[in-house]
This record gives sequence, structure tokens and C-alpha cells, in this order.
Amino acid sequence: MVLRLVEEAGPPIVVLVVLIAFWEWACHAFGIKTYVLPAPSSILGAFIKGSNTLLYHAGITAFEAMAGFVIGSALGALIGTAFAYSRFLARGFLPYIIAANTIPVVAIAPIIIIWFGHGIGSKIAVTAFLSFFPLALNMMKGLQSYDRVVMDVFHIAAATPTQAFFKMRLPSALPYVFVGLKLNVTFSVIGAIVAEFVQADRGLGFVIMTSYRSMAMPRLWAAMLLSALMGIVFFLIVAALERVFVPWHASMDPGR
Amino acid sequence: MAEPALRDTAMPAVDVRNLSLVYRSRDRAVNALSNVDLQVERGSFVSLIGPSGCGKSTLLRVLGDLLAPTSGTVLLDGRAPRAERLDRRIGFVFQDPALPEWRTILANVALPLELRGTPRADREAQARELIDLVGLTGFEGAYPRQLSGGMRQRAAIARALSTKPRLLLLDEPFGALDQITRDRLNLELMHIHEVTRVTVVLVTHSIREAVLLSDRIVVMTPRPGRISRILEDRLPRPRRLQTRDLPDYEDLVRLGNSALERGYAHV
Repeated sequence: MVLRLVEEAGPPIVVLVVLIAFWEWACHAFGIKTYVLPAPSSILGAFIKGSNTLLYHAGITAFEAMAGFVIGSALGALIGTAFAYSRFLARGFLPYIIAANTIPVVAIAPIIIIWFGHGIGSKIAVTAFLSFFPLALNMMKGLQSYDRVVMDVFHIAAATPTQAFFKMRLPSALPYVFVGLKLNVTFSVIGAIVAEFVQADRGLGFVIMTSYRSMAMPRLWAAMLLSALMGIVFFLIVAALERVFVPWHASMDPGR
Repeated sequence: MAEPALRDTAMPAVDVRNLSLVYRSRDRAVNALSNVDLQVERGSFVSLIGPSGCGKSTLLRVLGDLLAPTSGTVLLDGRAPRAERLDRRIGFVFQDPALPEWRTILANVALPLELRGTPRADREAQARELIDLVGLTGFEGAYPRQLSGGMRQRAAIARALSTKPRLLLLDEPFGALDQITRDRLNLELMHIHEVTRVTVVLVTHSIREAVLLSDRIVVMTPRPGRISRILEDRLPRPRRLQTRDLPDYEDLVRLGNSALERGYAHV
């Protein structure tokens, strides 16, 4: 177990340490200006100096991202389920949903902010908008991907449609659901930050924007890395949930 | 209450009369089954055999209420297949074991009882008995992925028996297995049939399997799917794998093969 961890985590850690060392060295050796590329040490310095405010803003963004993720995913799951059960709804709405999905989030964010106001609600709404599509589509596909012979088994056993849904179609859909959730959780941080770019007085997007205007590049880098870290942590949480809820799935099996 | 007694003795387990089934697609209609008549005695073992397209699986699916016939009547113990299915008196085993991969063997075998609402302790106790009957003791907690094809099919048979069906329908259940596993499962099937006295209708491609297991062998021909011949198989019971060494066994296989060949002449 420990050996496996070392084996898996070893290479990326070595690469990270070497990269940071080279970065630090290059900044000093070539005299790279801080506003072009701050050295890791100055980014760390900016983080330590402003850690309280940075973490406060990160907390705001994390809340927006999580709330938007949950609302968007819940709506996506609901709509995806409706589409899986109704050919009419799926065929009627899907073209428009796919069209809406191609709207750049920066274009729709100002509209959503007009609708939902200048507070945190509009940031959640933008995030929810972005993390709606992947789950809607994957939920629909997942619910339709059940084994037809298993359905016959349920039919022979006189299962009700509700039983067939909860004991067969939903479990069959879970691997797809987690594909959608993993996409959503990554999009959710992007959605929250983009919304804060458009209009905000707090959050990591706000920090990035204000740091950029005052050319406080180490602070901007610190905020950027913090948002990346947030995305990674969220992703790992969803991946851990997948291991809990879909332990049977072949892709969970090491060595396959 | 004379009538139920009469029902129990005289009424065939399966009574198919003048059954036809037409598959219609946009540009053509296929006569999958044409004027099929078949009676199966309670507790007997009947095999349906014939080339692809002869309608044997279609007939089995009609018996299991997975398909509705175009015309004709089907009665199982005097009742419509739907009523029997809703009372969970039909067991069905497919060529694919179709064990949901997220359920343990125990949970898979207990699934029909779970759907019926049997309390957990009861259904697990019953499932354990069946797991024992099919020789899977020790694998209750295993997942289907961890079992061999033959073991998965044993679990599927146990599941089909879990609601104590009156009719067991088997659709080429051993078709995907190797010969040795197939022999062993045939042996187990004979044992299960002896113990439970359930009426069995088996769809198979193998005349040797049909002769070994059956009381009657229904030979079907395609285009349109219909019954061409019914062979009586009076080999002594209980059957053993050694039954295959009897001269009568070979005679029946020959008889079956020639009936099948006439069927293939239509292909």
C-alpha cells in the first residue's frame, strides 16, 4: 500500500520539485522581471503576506463553485432523467440545449448577473449554468445504457418501473454520472472565476482582476495557483466518491 | 373444492394453441411463429430445438410474457402468462447470465425476492439454500466479475428458482460454455429438476443435450417458424451422464438429427 503510493506519487513529486527549482534558478540567472514571471519564492512570499485575505477570497469562490456545482448537477440529473424516459422531450429539447452549451460562458455571464444581481447568487447561477450540460447528457446516456437482458430479468421478476429505475437503471448509469460530475466539478471553479471577472467585489476572480490592474503579479500568481489547487481538490473529492459509489466498475480495478 | 384439484392434475403446465407471431418492420413482415400447438405436462422437461430462425426463442419469450403473440392462445396452468409472471411463477434463464455487476452473488440470487418485498433475513436464507443447491456455497459474497462463466450461469439458475416458479424457461443457458462445464451443468439441471419438480422448457442447439435431459423434444423448422416433429424421450430416470452410453440414447440422437436435417432443408 505504502509502496504503491510511493510508486504512484513519486514521479510527479520529483518532476514538481525539479521544475520549481529550475524556475527559481532561471528567474535569478536570467534576471526575468517579476511582472513577466515572478519567481516561486516571491509568489510564496505574496501568498504568506496576504494569506488571510487570499484564503477569505478563496473561500468565497469555493462556496460559489460548490453551490453552483450542486445546483447545476442536480438540475442536469433531473433533466437528463426526463430525457432518458421521454423520446419526445429529448428530441424536442436536445438541439437547443446543445446550442445553448456552445454559448461562451463569458458572453452569458453578464446577462446572468443582470438577472441574478451583483451578489454571490449570480456567481452561483453562472457556475450552475456551466455545470448543467455535462451531467444532463451523461445522465441521459447512462440511464439508456443498461443491459437489455438484465431488464428482461427485472421484467420476469415483475419489477415496478420505480424498482427498475433505482435497482437497475440508476446503478447502471453511475459510471456515466461520475464522468459528468468530474467534468462539472472542474467547470465549476472556472464558472465561478469567470463570473467574478465580469463583476464582483470578492472571490479569487476579483483578486486576479485587481492584482492585474495594480500589476501585483506575484499576488495574481498566488491567486491563480490557489484556484488551480481548488479545482484539483474538488476533482479528487468527486473521484473519491466514485470509488465509494461505483466500486464494482471495471475502470476502478487496478491493473486492468 | 373439486375444481382446483382437477386443475392441478389435468391441466397442462403449458398449453399453446394455434399461436402465431408476426414481426412487422417497415418494409416486410416475418412469420416468426406459425400455428404452433404445444402442450407440456406438469413437472416434465421439454426441449425446443431447431435451426436459427425457427422461432424457438420467440416461443420461449411468449411463454415468459416477454413477447405478445399476434394470434392464438397461451395458458400456463390455465392462466395468462402475464398473470403467472406478475405472481412470479415463471423463472427465466438467458444465455447471458445477466447478473448486475454491483450485486454480490447472494444479492443477485435474492433479487426477485427483494423485488417482491420479502424481508432481508428471509430472502437471504432462501437465497443461501439455492446457492447451495447450485453448488456455489462459499461464493455468496463474491461479485459476478470474480466468477467463471459456468459459475455465473449457476447463479442465474438459482436466481430464476428463487420465487419457487412453476415454470422454468431456459434460453440456451449453456450455449456460451465449454463442453465439460456444459456436462456438469446438465447434471446439475437434472438434479434440480428432480428435486424441485418444476416444469422446464429448454431452448437448445444441441440434440445430445436435449435427448439427455428431456421427456419430449420439440423439433422446429424456420420460415415460417413451426413445430415439425415431437419426439418422446423415454430414457430411464433419474438420468445420469452415463445415460448417454445407452443404445436408446444414440437412437434418439439419430432420430433427432434426421428430424433436424429435414428442418435445415428449409434453410
